[in-house]
Amino acid sequence: MRNFFILIAFSFSSILVAQTVNNQQNTAQRILSGNINTKGVTVGGYGEITYNRPTGKNAELDVQRLVLLFGYKFDERTQFITEIEFEHVKEVFVEQAFLQYSVSDNLNLRAGLMLVPMGIINEYHEPTTFNGVERPSMDNAIVPSTWREIGVGISGKSNEVSLRYQAYIFNGFQSTISDGNGTITGGKLGGSNGLRGGRQKGAQSNFNNINFSGKLDYYGLPGLRLGLSGYFGRTQSPYDVKDVVGADIGIAMLGLDARYSKKRFSARGQFIQGNLSDTEAYNTATGKDLGSSLQGYYIEAGYNLLSQEKKQQLISFVRYEDFNTQASVAGNLAKNNTYDRQEWTLGLSYKIANGAVVKADYQIKKNAAKVTTNQLNFGVGVWF
Amino acid sequence: MFGFKKIQLISVTLVFVLLSSFTVSNRLMKKMLKEIETTFNAKEVKLISLELNKEQLIIHEKDHFFKIEKNNQLLGYAYLGKAASKTDEFDYLILIDTDLIIKKTKILIYREDYGGEIGSKRWLKQFIGKSAKDELLYEKDIIAISGATISATSMTKAVNAFLKNISILKENKVL
Repeated sequence: MRNFFILIAFSFSSILVAQTVNNQQNTAQRILSGNINTKGVTVGGYGEITYNRPTGKNAELDVQRLVLLFGYKFDERTQFITEIEFEHVKEVFVEQAFLQYSVSDNLNLRAGLMLVPMGIINEYHEPTTFNGVERPSMDNAIVPSTWREIGVGISGKSNEVSLRYQAYIFNGFQSTISDGNGTITGGKLGGSNGLRGGRQKGAQSNFNNINFSGKLDYYGLPGLRLGLSGYFGRTQSPYDVKDVVGADIGIAMLGLDARYSKKRFSARGQFIQGNLSDTEAYNTATGKDLGSSLQGYYIEAGYNLLSQEKKQQLISFVRYEDFNTQASVAGNLAKNNTYDRQEWTLGLSYKIANGAVVKADYQIKKNAAKVTTNQLNFGVGVWF
Repeated sequence: MFGFKKIQLISVTLVFVLLSSFTVSNRLMKKMLKEIETTFNAKEVKLISLELNKEQLIIHEKDHFFKIEKNNQLLGYAYLGKAASKTDEFDYLILIDTDLIIKKTKILIYREDYGGEIGSKRWLKQFIGKSAKDELLYEKDIIAISGATISATSMTKAVNAFLKNISILKENKVL
């Protein structure tokens, strides 16, 4: 026993009064912060309701996403987190469902359905955390957000060196489908959306090749956060065709991202490079037009037009994206110029309360085939 | 009548002492002491739990405020608090010197992945030297951390509320 002791010198009546009062305050605070921490249960969620109007088309109104978060804490070290997602009102998905065990302050073990850490948006996609009604387009075509699979791994941080780390073994994309008798009947990956169609999302997912994923985040410089992500492995294919040439492809993806904020100014950017191997054989086997590399970047700057003394924020922003799902192609596949895309987004994010945002923006989407589409977007976003 | 009241008071005291010994876990107590010892460069310090009432504190019901003494000499004060992260609560420590100026802030226990970046020594350095005269507003006076907005705002608000409280405590001559 160490040589210390604590003297308790309370006056009972005032303590009893203080406790009653503070219990009341705390219940209110809990409701306001949205954290119902009683008995280890947490309830939260986020949602996006959008209006999109591309030139030459009618507008589309959509409850794009409504995600309900539930967390349960079994003890100080053991926690389960799940997010149930409704897409476009009627499609139900489980976005995350994992068990986390905290070994120490710097190390957690995780297993279950988890987000693949690649770039910014796939992990941080709640509508009040990014500008623009829609997520950046390259976080759809290059990084297939919301990208999640079942896996196991470790995560943690070091406050000494201001570094957060994540390392996982995941199930990967499903690349092909077969007739069950050794013949490939189709492919899920393609030129326009890259790997997106191959996501298995933890639903009766097929698994025959291990994939590795990791991310390092450095947050030691004031206002700046830097990320380095990596994803390496091979796609999955049905058992009867797994040894057939062209059934699967190799993936090596690297991402760099940066976020910066200083007073009313904020900026972020991201660069992703994905190299795919064996795409020529894959395209021959499936009749697809998958590129042999995917590449893209975006940069964005924002400025809060309101005084910082105010609780509300009105952020004007501009974003430029340049991405290509056929940055290179293998064999004699001809490049499709419509996959080489450049987009400008200009708009406003009006944060009316902490966790509630109203958004408006205008997008100019061009491609190398010299086709331009403009789009007007409005949206309501919440996170609690 | 008098005798009955006395017994009641004693039982209330016992219950409270038991409760308070549970509200600060050993793990937390160890971490706090280690930080106090390094910050004040003193071993075997004595912690005296300060009397609190509703006018004078309190940011969170489970918070504790200690006077730090060594050989009956006042070294400073320690505020052990809880604040909300995204889906949980974290434990933080604020150490102030006898002039009521912040010497150190530290996140003692953080219980989830999201927002854990607030434990960064570099980020917490911003609070050192602040006192009751400072108004701390997240993003304006305290530099933001991308990806940890909820916890960083929460910590900034807690330190700000604490500084407001010590000015009240000073006025009431508790400190």
